Amino acid sequence: MNPVTQERRHYEDLAIGDVIDIGTTTVSKEMIISFAREFDPFPFHLDEDAAKASLLGGLAASGWQTAALSLRMLGDSFLNTIASMGGLGFSDLKWKKPVMVGDTIGGSATIASLRRSRHHPERGIITLDFDVRNQAGEPVMTMRLANLVELRDPSVPLVEGETP
Amino acid sequence: MTRWFEDIEIGDLFPLGAHEFTEAEIIRFGQLYDPQYFHVDPEAAKFSHFGGLVASGWHTVTVGHRHMVDALFAEEYRLRSLGREPGVSGPSPGVNKMEFKAPVRPGDSVTYTLTVTGKRPSNSIPGWGLLFNNLEAVNQRGELVYHAELVGFSKLRDYKMPLRLRLLMALTRLPVLGKLLTRNG
Repeated sequence: MNPVTQERRHYEDLAIGDVIDIGTTTVSKEMIISFAREFDPFPFHLDEDAAKASLLGGLAASGWQTAALSLRMLGDSFLNTIASMGGLGFSDLKWKKPVMVGDTIGGSATIASLRRSRHHPERGIITLDFDVRNQAGEPVMTMRLANLVELRDPSVPLVEGETP
Repeated sequence: MTRWFEDIEIGDLFPLGAHEFTEAEIIRFGQLYDPQYFHVDPEAAKFSHFGGLVASGWHTVTVGHRHMVDALFAEEYRLRSLGREPGVSGPSPGVNKMEFKAPVRPGDSVTYTLTVTGKRPSNSIPGWGLLFNNLEAVNQRGELVYHAELVGFSKLRDYKMPLRLRLLMALTRLPVLGKLLTRNG
């Protein structure tokens, strides 16, 4: 038994359709510029004039910052409450609308699928539909995340017909 | 890569350089964006299936993105120094797929390579094209750390705006009519 995660919810405690409210974060100009300097130094993430002249139409957060802030919210609201074993990746990440200075982003993650790993019976794989919106309710980012979760009781056989 | 859309060939391969991940920066990124115990606490991480501290996948990805942006600027500088006008890179509409394959541990060195796999003019934004890129990150043992299918906007050099769009653009510059047009658009 993993002492770090033994009191947390495990794979068996999760259900398809569970909705996690990830809370909200307000994105300041300082946050945008400091993230961009480190990870995404395109002029349209650093400079207001360059941003106005770009496709974004104004100073906007790096899409990777929107993702990182959303991940932080998902960690606090969900991943650190379950016996997470880390992410496997994601698919269909869409940056639907730029996140501008002063925007408040938040949203939900919904469990879309749950399955056991065939090769590692102690692991479950969950997928989450991540829906992040701004304060006007407009979608800014969507994606489907895949994450590993520990099973409490790996001795239970895989359900007949279940595919890994 | 800051080449004009028209000059980018499918199959073009761009080495983006390497990055060595230190324990301190793995923990710092984890504390800011992904505070799961195996990303922030080296002792607790020993109980995880990783057996020790590993970088958040999002950390290796954002560092890879930084390397891509740096390569774009280097190419822009190179073209300017040859007296040529560089192309214009735009933002990204998304990522089709991202798969984390091997964990990154403190001291690991990750080498990033980008390959152009496809391109087409944008349907939604006139004058811009879409580039489809494959990004591979490999560690010092040659193991694949992650691979990604990325999409990015790139400006067309030879684009001729259709007459009706040029007319509309000119009309939006008129004070009163412009306001009405952009409000409806």
